[in-house]
Amino acid sequence: MDTLTIFRRAVGWRFHNRITIAVTLLQPVLWLVLYSLTAGPAMKLQGIENYTAFLFPGLVVLVSFSACGSGGMMNYMMKADGSFYRILTAPVRRGSIVLGQMLEAVLCSLFEVAVMAVISLFFSVKFPQTPGRLALLLVLAGCGAFLTAGLSYGISLALPNEMIYETAMNALALPVFFLSAALFPASQAQGVLSILIRLNPFTYLIGSMRALMLRGEIHPRETAAVILGFLLLGVLAFRWSAGLLEKETRR
Amino acid sequence: MDAIRVTHVTKQYPNGVLALKGLSLSVQTGEIFSLLGQNGAGKSTLIRILTTYLRPTSGEVTVLGRDVVREGAAVRSRIACAAQQVSLDSHLSLAENMRFQARLYRIPKEEGKRRMEELISAFGLEEFRNRPAAACSGGVKRRLDIALAILSHPGILFLDEPSAGMDVRSRLTMWEMLKQIRKEFGTTILLTTHDLEEAGCLSDTVCIIKDGREAAQGSPEALKSVLRRDMVCVQFSSGDEARRYLPLFLEEFPQNKPFVRDREIFWNAAGGDGGIGPAAAFLLRQRLPFVGVRIARPSMEDVFLRLTQEEMREEETTWTR
Ligand SMILES: Nc1ncnc2c1ncn2[C@@H]1O[C@H](COP(=O)(O)OP(=O)(O)O)[C@@H](O)[C@H]1O
Ligand SMILES: [Mg+2]
Repeated sequence: MDTLTIFRRAVGWRFHNRITIAVTLLQPVLWLVLYSLTAGPAMKLQGIENYTAFLFPGLVVLVSFSACGSGGMMNYMMKADGSFYRILTAPVRRGSIVLGQMLEAVLCSLFEVAVMAVISLFFSVKFPQTPGRLALLLVLAGCGAFLTAGLSYGISLALPNEMIYETAMNALALPVFFLSAALFPASQAQGVLSILIRLNPFTYLIGSMRALMLRGEIHPRETAAVILGFLLLGVLAFRWSAGLLEKETRR
Repeated sequence: MDAIRVTHVTKQYPNGVLALKGLSLSVQTGEIFSLLGQNGAGKSTLIRILTTYLRPTSGEVTVLGRDVVREGAAVRSRIACAAQQVSLDSHLSLAENMRFQARLYRIPKEEGKRRMEELISAFGLEEFRNRPAAACSGGVKRRLDIALAILSHPGILFLDEPSAGMDVRSRLTMWEMLKQIRKEFGTTILLTTHDLEEAGCLSDTVCIIKDGREAAQGSPEALKSVLRRDMVCVQFSSGDEARRYLPLFLEEFPQNKPFVRDREIFWNAAGGDGGIGPAAAFLLRQRLPFVGVRIARPSMEDVFLRLTQEEMREEETTWTR
């Protein structure tokens, strides 16, 4: 109930700041368009038929980072206009505050993923035809966004101002993106790089989505492991953030 | 039971500033309690502690019988606060801010609507109801902020400088509202103010905070009687008339420094020949067209200045020592 109240308010905030949707979409869409156009032909030689489809899952992660990142930005704005104080002294559980805002960030990420999906149709990307598979794709994207949202929320509370926060979010998003087989098959990486890629949970998320999109494959055990793993990490990030929020009133 | 009990509370901010230095006070259920103090005295810090936003460094604080540190959630469900800094969702309209507040405090929908209409008309917010808060003037935002705090009919209402930036009319409306909700719901109200008149005529109890400690606490009347500095006051039929005769009084009672306020001439009854007896004799001798003569008790302003100036005097003595 409280979560819903906070969620609705966050949706309202996002709607009011619609520009953030455009801004956070810009970079991933540019990646999508420019990479498809420039690297697509070369990748075809390597046996990747549709590079846009190959790229898409990685960009889902990238878009989550930017959408959830601007969700964390909301905390700084709320602190500035004082509504942060109002909500913290209202009878609302800290967990509900965090969860409501996290869910809004997930929703926004999924919306942006949908926009990207529409754009990628122009690059002849074929999405799974059955509702079940489409739903699974959304669930995977949502799980990734849930973890990202939890991390963004916590980081926004941990860091003193917007500037440092934005820098930190970039410093987190780019390695996660590059070290996750987002741009090329994981099998091509060697040495330390391949170890890092294998340690990165997003590698597996991207792998599952890619299998689904390129070949229509579902590996039930792997996919279940990815979903459960991300939910678990997401819950840990949520607990961490809720703890930090509780600490805001313990100073 | 006391609605609020604060015992030997200290608060040190992480940056080392010691904002409260062993403050104690108690607020009775159902009273209007004013905290008076100069900037930096620690009023807002105390409110942030009472509303569970900050923890005291030491000491004990109970609100409605609950410990603010250990039972913060229970306290939060029974209080509401309009902070010194207006805290609205600036992107939401006034009505949306109210609806959000109603949901936040789990007020049933119909009831929330009713209270919202009531507050909107009481605070004269009709014409702004659909305007985003960000586009409203400071005074309107302040009124909305207070309306939001009242919306949940809290057991204790905290108002940090509620009348700052309000015009006279909205201030009077607010006073009426506060008295009314106190009467209707038995709400305990704790407010801070710079406005001595507000403290004096609105509150049952006034506490003057000085430098992180309480300097005096009592009813406005009790505080005023502490001063024992009565004023003689001669009333005329108009302010102009009072001003016209002021020079005569200045000549007769130079040590007592007569001055005009409204249509009366005031001076300090103590010292010189300024007592009521000499005053009456003077008035009769001069055949002035006065309307009345009386002895006036000191105002809150006098009390406040006296209590906070003592500090300066102490400082002076430490400097010269
Ligand atoms: N967040 C803060 N961090 C550090 N010091 C603060 C903070 N807020 C207030 N102070 C300091 O604490 C003292 C009391 O401030 P405050 O409670 O705001 O006083 P008042 O409300 O009576 O004007 C002041 O010296 C002020 O500078
Ligand atoms: Mg203050």
